Amino acid sequence: MMLRRYRFEILAILAILAFAGLFVYTSSILGDAEFAGSDTIGSSQIAKITGTPEEEYRPLVWQWAPPSGEVESGLFALQAAIGGIVVGWFLGYWKGLNKQEME
Amino acid sequence: MHIMEGFLPWQWCAVWWLVALPCLALGVHQLNKVLSADREALPLLGVTGGFVFILSSLKLPSVTGSCSHPTGTGLSAICFGPWITAVVAAIVLLFQALFLAHGGLSVLGANIVSMGIVGPIAGWGVYRVLRDTPVNMYLTVFLACAFADLFTYFTTSLELALAYPAEVGGIGSSFVVFMGIFALTQVPLAIVEAIVLVLVFKYIVQLRPGILIRLKVFTEGKIVAAVRDA
Repeated sequence: MMLRRYRFEILAILAILAFAGLFVYTSSILGDAEFAGSDTIGSSQIAKITGTPEEEYRPLVWQWAPPSGEVESGLFALQAAIGGIVVGWFLGYWKGLNKQEME
Repeated sequence: MHIMEGFLPWQWCAVWWLVALPCLALGVHQLNKVLSADREALPLLGVTGGFVFILSSLKLPSVTGSCSHPTGTGLSAICFGPWITAVVAAIVLLFQALFLAHGGLSVLGANIVSMGIVGPIAGWGVYRVLRDTPVNMYLTVFLACAFADLFTYFTTSLELALAYPAEVGGIGSSFVVFMGIFALTQVPLAIVEAIVLVLVFKYIVQLRPGILIRLKVFTEGKIVAAVRDA
């Protein structure tokens, strides 16, 4: 009964574990894998197809770039935090609403 | 799935902006209508849209030895349709273009078309086909979310292949190469993302089934049965 009730929670945990396991496995057999972003690899593929070196692709519109990986990862965390706050806010709002309606 | 700033010729940037803009206009129009018709639509939009923010910030390593991120757009596409989802995705992509140098303002149109329009349309299409069949509601959500994710990367590959056909084999052979980079990396991510979004959908069903019934996300019968089952 418990197992059926929490089947999606269990499935999600198993899927994440399998995903992590797959990562451990691939990173051990692909010794030189850098786990760069697929965006970056896509861009170097463009350079390969056109024969124009990657450095020669200039932004068409001026663009601010985070000065370091630390700043970038911080801003990514900010993005996730904004999403998390919004999700938590409304789930909590629903929960409170349900409680109020029960009384 | 981002095409990086400067890596798309301006003609293609213009084409994709021209595709994206009317879709965004339609999305804003629908958004106003839905939000003014039902006060409870806003919390649902917050939860489904919030997950687009969260999931698209997670860059995860995959089997190909490179990293990519899920899109999280499937749930929003199911609840609100692809056009409203395009608006949500556009906000996230604008944030990433301005502050993270992921994508950029000239390629924003192309990135909105892949993550905000074609991906959500694919997911929404799967959902619409299965919605009124006896197929399990959660399986429908799973498939829709996985398709929304995969078709985003499929579209990025197509956009790049159209702009950069290979010397030998043209667009087709370029497409295969870009699919190898983007789509293959994405398969395990799409599966995990879809399972997580099924779990989120279950919580929405348990907490607030009424709004899903009013928005006709699934038939009342399916939702009531799921609430009783929980």
